[in-house]
Amino acid sequence: MCTSPHRHSLHCILPPYILSQIAENGSPELRAMAVRSLLVDPTMRIVRASTAGPVTGAIARRRAAAGNILTPSPLRTIRDAGGEPEAPGATVVRREGDAPTGDVAVDEAYDGLGATFALFWEAYQRNSIDDAGMPLDATVHYDQDYDNAFWDGTQMVFGDGDGELFNRFTISLDVIGHELTHGVTEKESGLAYFNQSGALNESISDVFGSLVKQRLLGQTADQADWLIGAELLTAKVNGVALRSMKAPGTAYDDPVLGKDPQPGHMNDFVRTNQDNGGVHINSGIPNRAFYLAATAIGGKAWDQAGQIW
Amino acid sequence: MQTGKTCDETMTGEARVRIEGGLAHFPGLAKEQTVSFDDLATAERQEIASLADQADFFGCTPAKDTAGPDGRTYTVGLTIAGRSRELRIAEPIRDPALAKLVSAVRRLSK
Repeated sequence: MCTSPHRHSLHCILPPYILSQIAENGSPELRAMAVRSLLVDPTMRIVRASTAGPVTGAIARRRAAAGNILTPSPLRTIRDAGGEPEAPGATVVRREGDAPTGDVAVDEAYDGLGATFALFWEAYQRNSIDDAGMPLDATVHYDQDYDNAFWDGTQMVFGDGDGELFNRFTISLDVIGHELTHGVTEKESGLAYFNQSGALNESISDVFGSLVKQRLLGQTADQADWLIGAELLTAKVNGVALRSMKAPGTAYDDPVLGKDPQPGHMNDFVRTNQDNGGVHINSGIPNRAFYLAATAIGGKAWDQAGQIW
Repeated sequence: MQTGKTCDETMTGEARVRIEGGLAHFPGLAKEQTVSFDDLATAERQEIASLADQADFFGCTPAKDTAGPDGRTYTVGLTIAGRSRELRIAEPIRDPALAKLVSAVRRLSK
């Protein structure tokens, strides 16, 4: 839209993708004009998705100064490691706004990041991991027979599982929410990943990971399964999930994996040097506290207990 | 570095790995896995030896990194042709050669 009495060709003629190129590669004067044009362009959101990178700093300040505050939206990039132990993966396979690829891990990661972004923004008005629109990056198909997912400080990394004990790690929405919440915790509270503070760190990821799933399914607290990773274990494993927030210690009891070691009460707190001082073990205690609070309050847990947490 | 040994089909040794951490703690998986080179195919022995050389496994300075949230820590031990060393390596593993070595030892010692 042209509202300025002085029309520059950049403002009216050039399509957004060319403006975006100029904003990235033009001379300083042209870049400034291109950015101004993009700021008044109603398709800014699409351009932002295609150029990758956080909408912070100068652009954000100009937008705010112009009173042009847009509803935050996710900025997702999914990369494929192709079975190599490298993250970020070498190939970008889906960017924000792209259609589904047909690769189930890629599309699950994309959708899971979107659902997690939506919970944090729509329920808690938090704009992404850092509350400043941080892009959401993920690498899938990490390594071979890799039974894990982790947050590496900048992105989420997902293995495909070994097919024997574990399915692909993008299969459980709450696991995606769990990993992204580690980023939120890192930016927000910096809970040391060791002993009790580490168990709290883990529990917060389980809580909001579960809330991502409950919100997407529209479940009330008494309808939720309160399981973490319910889809991850293969049929060969005697278990239902990685963890149970409702009944810690009951998620699995398997000849290969062993028995779920989670306690559900401080009376049973586990002192150990393994697992960073038991961060995935003692998280069962605050997990159950959240479950008890959410079910006692009732209703939708992300609207009630989640606000308190 | 003794890259010449990577082509020695009679090379003796073993690889060990213990995995801690990850998205969940499974007591049954928290034990050391060991594989003797006698139980590996020649190509697999060569793969481990070659990756150990590329990562300078026997000469590098141990990193003091700790694993990030849900990241694993690997305690990798290698004995190859008389050389022996054990290193703790935390995810994310930024050195590509070391990441490939850990991956190979993890898969071949299952």
